Amino acid sequence: MTTTEAKTRQLAWVYDLNKCIGCQTCSVACKVLWTRDEGEKHQWWMSVNTMPGLGTPKGWEDMGGGFDPETGKPRPGHQPTRGEFGGGFDYNYQEVFYGGTAGKAHLEPQGPREGRWAMNWDEDQGAGEWPNSYYFYLPRQCNHCSNPVCMSACATGALSRTNDGLVLRDEEVCMGDRFCMEACPYKKIYFNYDRHVAQQCIGCFPRIEAGVAPACVRQCPGRAVFIGDLEDEESSVHKLVKTWKVAMPLKAEAGTGPNVYYVPPLSPHRLNDDMSIDTETPRIPPEYLESLFGPGVHGALNVLKGEMETVRAGGASEILTTLIAYKWQELLGPFTVDPATLDRSNGGA
Amino acid sequence: MKVARLNGELADPAAPAWGGAEAVSITLGPVPIGAQPTAYIREAWAGRSYGTTGAATLAAASDGERLYLRLEWPDGATPNGEFQDAVAAMFPAGGDAPVATMGDHDRPVELWFWENGRGPLRLTSRGPGVVRKEAADGVAARGDLAGGRWSVVLSGPKPAAGKPVGVAVWDGSNDERAGLAAVSQEWLQLELA
Ligand code: SF4
Ligand code: SF4
Repeated sequence: MTTTEAKTRQLAWVYDLNKCIGCQTCSVACKVLWTRDEGEKHQWWMSVNTMPGLGTPKGWEDMGGGFDPETGKPRPGHQPTRGEFGGGFDYNYQEVFYGGTAGKAHLEPQGPREGRWAMNWDEDQGAGEWPNSYYFYLPRQCNHCSNPVCMSACATGALSRTNDGLVLRDEEVCMGDRFCMEACPYKKIYFNYDRHVAQQCIGCFPRIEAGVAPACVRQCPGRAVFIGDLEDEESSVHKLVKTWKVAMPLKAEAGTGPNVYYVPPLSPHRLNDDMSIDTETPRIPPEYLESLFGPGVHGALNVLKGEMETVRAGGASEILTTLIAYKWQELLGPFTVDPATLDRSNGGA
Repeated sequence: MKVARLNGELADPAAPAWGGAEAVSITLGPVPIGAQPTAYIREAWAGRSYGTTGAATLAAASDGERLYLRLEWPDGATPNGEFQDAVAAMFPAGGDAPVATMGDHDRPVELWFWENGRGPLRLTSRGPGVVRKEAADGVAARGDLAGGRWSVVLSGPKPAAGKPVGVAVWDGSNDERAGLAAVSQEWLQLELA
């Protein structure tokens, strides 16, 4: 059921990991908008985790899925469990706020402590030894892949691609079989145990149709995320990805053609034992970044460093000007409509 | 097999009325891996055993209006919380539909489907797991787990005379769902009294 023939745009996101401050505004904006109904408590269609880390769901990088780079066949994947996603806790609000236990009881998730996990559980742990410890934040959503293995794995044909290149599920057709969850190499699909359907990022398609940018993009206080049509050569996303090659997809070797891209993080300088500064060795190991963003990551970082040199020397850089996004609306691509101006008299979202 | 004409609480799998119905053992086997509908399922499950329930016991009864099918089979391992045990009765819905693949593209089967904690559902199946939800149309189900055995009664409007029945069982503790089922290897004629 590939609908690529009719596709007219390919929406793409670019996250600048040098600007993401890990504030979770994107994930909360998404949560408030889309996952407040029954069975959605544990769902974070947008999740931001500290890297290196075990992430969401716990250990997702080792759960398989995607396509075998050698044979092109789909690779078996692990079915992420409710426990591996974690979260969706119930809290002892009653006891703390109304139980007359002031000073004694404190808010805490109910249920067993052991094995507890949630989105962003390993925040700011990162890796490396002091004073050369390092970490960065990685916002993750469904990649709205061009070759979506979730869609081809599904037995019922519940998933399809829209003319905007978004991968959407028909929840009436979904039987909750979860082959999509096994097959997705990014493990960005959640299961709704109450409604018995799988769910994932919908690219805020009702907003897109109204000319409004997705919530993750519009709400980001770091001005860290761009959206646009990857096929429009004038778009920021096209320039960052295709022209300047400073943004690359996550784990592209899984072969699904992801449409979410990342400007890789530059490293702080390393400190030597005598606390002198080592400007030659990046603190984040380049091979680690390569494991996430592929071999193109080194060239991308060199371009960024070169542009920064140019600007320091008094020159101009279109790349840095774009990434800085002096004008906030530049992040929104063609989706600049202010949602507050929409007519909601029919009760629409 | 004979469909007994009985009165009583036939929707309840523990009802004494079921003592009056003939019970037959139905041999089940896994839906062939080659018939699974997507490359992902074929790759991921080629090396895993599924459709592990070897047999189920079927009894059939009618109160004149509705057909009641009582299925009983041994429960698998402790559920993992992700997938649930399930059962379905199958009827050909067009031509000589194959039972062992749960129908195919041109020859669908109708499923009366029950899953622990969910259902019942009436489904049209055009191959293993290739299903569409249909209006319930009076299909009902009730399941009991006792002594390590599931007993489930599936019921619906009495089908036309001469309709055969098939059975599918899913062991949730083995991640079985969709076409990863144990199914009857041949249709069983129902003799409606
Ligand atoms: S809202 Fe922006 S800065 Fe904050 S976590 Fe999300 S992407 Fe990063
Ligand atoms: S990220 Fe996963 S769920 Fe999203 S389109 Fe790609 S394969 Fe499908």
